[in-house]
Amino acid sequence: MKMSTDRFTITAEDYLAETSALFYLNDAVTQLLEHREEFIQFGIVRYFAEYFTSVKNGNHILFREFSYVKGTAHNRVSFIHVFWKYFRQIGKNRDLLTMMEYTSLLQLLCPDFPAEMVQNTAKIVLMEDATECPMSLSDFIYSFQIQFYYEEFLESVLAIYEDLLVGKNPNTVIVPTSASSETISSEETETQEGVDSSVLLECIEGLCERFKPKHPPLSAIKEALENSTRVSYYSFLMALAKHDGISREIGALPNRSDLLIDPEMDQELERLVAQVAISPTSNSSSSAQGLKEPCRKPSPRKSLHQRKRIEMESDGSTEETDSSEN
Amino acid sequence: MAEKRRSGVAAEPKSAKAESDEEFLSQAGVDALLRSTLLKLVEARPEDPIGFLAEHFTIEASENESGGGGDGEGKYQDALEDQQLNKALWHLSLAHHSQRSAFNSNIRVAYDLLSQCGSTRSVPGGVQGRLYTEMLRCVCSDSGLSEAAAAPLLRRLRCHDYEAVPFELFRQAVLMCSAFSEYVRRARCLYTAVACHPERPAERELCVAVLNALREALDTSHGPDATRYLEASAKISPAELARAMAETRGASREQEGQSMDMHEFEDAAAALFIARVRVVN
Repeated sequence: MKMSTDRFTITAEDYLAETSALFYLNDAVTQLLEHREEFIQFGIVRYFAEYFTSVKNGNHILFREFSYVKGTAHNRVSFIHVFWKYFRQIGKNRDLLTMMEYTSLLQLLCPDFPAEMVQNTAKIVLMEDATECPMSLSDFIYSFQIQFYYEEFLESVLAIYEDLLVGKNPNTVIVPTSASSETISSEETETQEGVDSSVLLECIEGLCERFKPKHPPLSAIKEALENSTRVSYYSFLMALAKHDGISREIGALPNRSDLLIDPEMDQELERLVAQVAISPTSNSSSSAQGLKEPCRKPSPRKSLHQRKRIEMESDGSTEETDSSEN
Repeated sequence: MAEKRRSGVAAEPKSAKAESDEEFLSQAGVDALLRSTLLKLVEARPEDPIGFLAEHFTIEASENESGGGGDGEGKYQDALEDQQLNKALWHLSLAHHSQRSAFNSNIRVAYDLLSQCGSTRSVPGGVQGRLYTEMLRCVCSDSGLSEAAAAPLLRRLRCHDYEAVPFELFRQAVLMCSAFSEYVRRARCLYTAVACHPERPAERELCVAVLNALREALDTSHGPDATRYLEASAKISPAELARAMAETRGASREQEGQSMDMHEFEDAAAALFIARVRVVN
C-alpha cells in the first residue's frame, strides 16, 4: 500500500483516490447498516476500530464475497497469503490436487470464488493443455498469485498477444478492459509457435505506461522475455510466476525455498494432531497418516513418536478400566 | 468529502429504507464520526492510511469507553494525560521532520492535545512543563535514542514542571529532538563508513579527522540560512571528507594506530550537536 507520488503535494481528492480508504469506509458502513442492532450493542466506534484492525492484519477477507476479495490490491495480497497459510500443509504432504479440488479449497475461504480463475491458473501451470492433471501446491500457488493479483493486466496482455498472433500492427492496438480469456484461448490454434518476444516486450512496455492498475515491474518482464526469441502467452506467464522478484514485489508469499517452512505453525499443528490422536475414534486416521511419514521432512517424525506414546498410554488406560470393571 | 460519503451510502437502495439508513447514520453519530475522520485523514495524509484509520478508531473507542467511568478525579486525570500523550506522539510519527510543513502541522495537533490536559488544574495558555518534558523524553526514546544519549539534550531543553510552554518553544524543542535522533543515526552510519570493516573498530586518527570536519561544518558563520546550509553541506561533502581522511593518512605513516569505538564516536558527534543547542530558561 505504498504511495507512488509525493502525498503532500497532491490534492486531497487525489490522495484519497490513491488510497483505498474510501473503499473500506464504504464497506464498513454497508456492513454496519446490515448488522446495525448487533453493532450498536458492541459500540460503533469500537466496530470501526475492529474493522480497520482486521483490514490492517489481512484477515478481513475471510468468507467475504469475491467482489470484495478482489476489490483492492491489499485484499488480493491478503487472500493469497491466507490461502497459503491455511493450505500449506497440502504442500508439505506433497499431495497433488486437481483444478476442481483447488477450486473447492478456495471456495472454503470465499464461497463465490469463480472456477474460471482456477482454470486460468491451471493453464499457466500445465501450459494450456491437460488442465485436468493434478498440480503441486507450490506450482499452483505462484501461478495463482500472478493470475489473481495481475488479472486485469494479464487480460490486456492476452489481447495484445492475440492481435500479434493474427499479425495486427501493435501500435494501433486498442486494449479492451474485459476480454473473456476463455473464448479467445479456445480459438487459438497451434498453427504458430507464439510471437516474437521482443515485439511482445515493446507492446507491453507501451501498455505499462498507460495502465492504471498494478502491473509487474518492467525489469522483471524483460527478464521473463529474455530467454527465448519466440514466446507463447502461457510460457510468458509461467516465467512471470517463477520470477522471485515479482513474488517479492507482491509480498504475499515467501520465497519458493521457504514456502513450506513455518516452525511456529508446525508446532501448533503438532499440538492439534496430538490432541486429536488422544480421542480413540481418530486412531485409525492417525495411523493412516503415519504411513505417509517416510517421505516427510525430519520434524514430523517427532510427532509420530509422540503419537505412538499417546496411543500406548491410552491403551494402558483402557486396560485399567477393563480390569476395574471386572 | 462528507457529501461524497453520504451520497455513496444513499446510492444503494433508493427506497424508504435508504432514508431510514441515512437517519440511522446521523442518529448514531456515524455521520459526524466519518466526517471528522476523513478530515483528519486528509490533513495528516499518512503513508499507510489503513494503519492510520485502525489506530485512529482504536484511540477514539478507548477514549469513549474510559470517558464514562471516572471514579477518582486524580486517577482519571492521569489516564487522560497518558491518552493525550500517546495520541500526540502518534500524530508526530505520521510525517518525517523533513516534510516540514506536514511535521509542523502535526506538532500543532500534538500541542493542542497536550494543552487540553490539566486545564482544570493550573497554567492557562500553554502545555504544562511536566508534560512538555515527558513528551520530549518520549520523542527521543521512540526514535531509537538511548536514555544516556538523550539526557544531555533533554537537560538543555527541559523547563520547570509548573511553567507553561508556549507553542513556538514546544515546536522547536520537538523538532530538535527529532533532528537530534536522526543526527545520531547518521553519525553511526558515518562511523561504519569510516571503519570500512564491520568487525574491526575504526582508526582513531581517521575518526578525529572526520569529527573535525563535522565541527567545522556545524560552525558556519552567521548569515542568511540558505548560505549557511550550502556552506555546511560543502564542508561535509563526501569529497571533502575523503580529502580530510587522506590528509591524515598521509601525515601519519605508521599504520595500525589506536582505534575508536562506535560509542565514543557517537558521543563526540552528539556533543558537537548539543553544544549548539541553546539552554531553555
